[in-house]
Amino acid sequence: MKDQCLVGLLILSVSIAVGCAREPDSRQAAAGDDTADFIESAEWQATLEPVTFEAWQEELVALHGQVVVVDMWATWCLPCIERFPHMVELAQKYADQDVEFVSLCLDDRDDEDSIALAKRFLTEQRARFPNFLMDEVVTQAFEKLDLLGIPAVFIYGPDGSLRYRLTGDDPNNQFTDADVDDAIEELLAAS
Amino acid sequence: MNLRGLILAALLLTMAILPCPALQAGEYNAVIDIGAPMPQFSDLPATDGTTLSSSDLEEEVVILVFLANHCPWVKGMDPDLVELGESIQSDKVRIVGVSVNHREDDRLPAMKEHAAQAGYNFTYIYDESQELGRALGATRTPEYYIFDKDRRLVYMGLLHNSPASKRRDGTINYTEGQPTEFYVVDNVKALLAGEEVTVAETRAHGCSVEYEQD
Repeated sequence: MKDQCLVGLLILSVSIAVGCAREPDSRQAAAGDDTADFIESAEWQATLEPVTFEAWQEELVALHGQVVVVDMWATWCLPCIERFPHMVELAQKYADQDVEFVSLCLDDRDDEDSIALAKRFLTEQRARFPNFLMDEVVTQAFEKLDLLGIPAVFIYGPDGSLRYRLTGDDPNNQFTDADVDDAIEELLAAS
Repeated sequence: MNLRGLILAALLLTMAILPCPALQAGEYNAVIDIGAPMPQFSDLPATDGTTLSSSDLEEEVVILVFLANHCPWVKGMDPDLVELGESIQSDKVRIVGVSVNHREDDRLPAMKEHAAQAGYNFTYIYDESQELGRALGATRTPEYYIFDKDRRLVYMGLLHNSPASKRRDGTINYTEGQPTEFYVVDNVKALLAGEEVTVAETRAHGCSVEYEQD
């Protein structure tokens, strides 16, 4: 029950974030001026840096030497939105350790409303870690990342090798928040 | 060779002979591969107030399409799905939409609303137990599965080669421009002509289906 309440609260807060308090068909509502105003008036603003797939590979190389946790998400992906706060919590928890958190947004790069909402969401979440936007046609981005769906969390070891590929690809073994926690702990214990 | 060596050799041989489950699955599917039989299902409730069982399906070709009302990729592809229903209207082909998620907006009451709004011209059932979705390894919406007259899987994946999403401003955006390859339509035509399908598997794109985990 407690979990249900928490999830409910999250959905509610996200709903408000995407402006559905006023719109019955929330997720189809235009981002509108509210989002722009919100982002401008926020004390801290998240940035969303576009990267091509090749540039993304270089970003990963630049992060070698620590555990790297990559959260792949999009504003059109409700489970991603619901899971994101856990990633922010983990980033705070491991702030003093050799773990870098990074988000990679897979929204449609040409859809201004979605990009504005993504920035607003990251700002509201206080996602104070590098936030990237995949600068590719979205279906091609999935292909290049060898992704079937999101949410997905890729966790790299300090040597840069992909150690955990947490996805929902298998209906009988979709990853949970606990899997992310366990993977990080295991990699930290080993390094 | 000592006993330990023999056991090791036997183990290795067994591993080589027994197909690994991961290898049995499709290129983009963790559970099943082309050629698999259609999973049985019974009395799944439909938006029109009826129920549907796999034994009710008598058509030559059956298309199961996994959908989710909430998903912009489903909404973006709805017009094309409805057009598919119109273009292959025949007593030889049956389309069945399946919703699997437990979100309120993907459950039966919301499905009824969505089906009416989108003009769905096919049976739309709710797989609350998630058994059908699991058996097919269906993890994205929309995703199409085509079964032939022997109820063997002959195709799984996209409707066509340019998935579309509905943007917040209501416009529909095709990711790769106008579609040029119509996998489902072409495969259905081939089956009805007694021919083999031309493409057996494509990478479905859309929202993830969420399964209850133990």
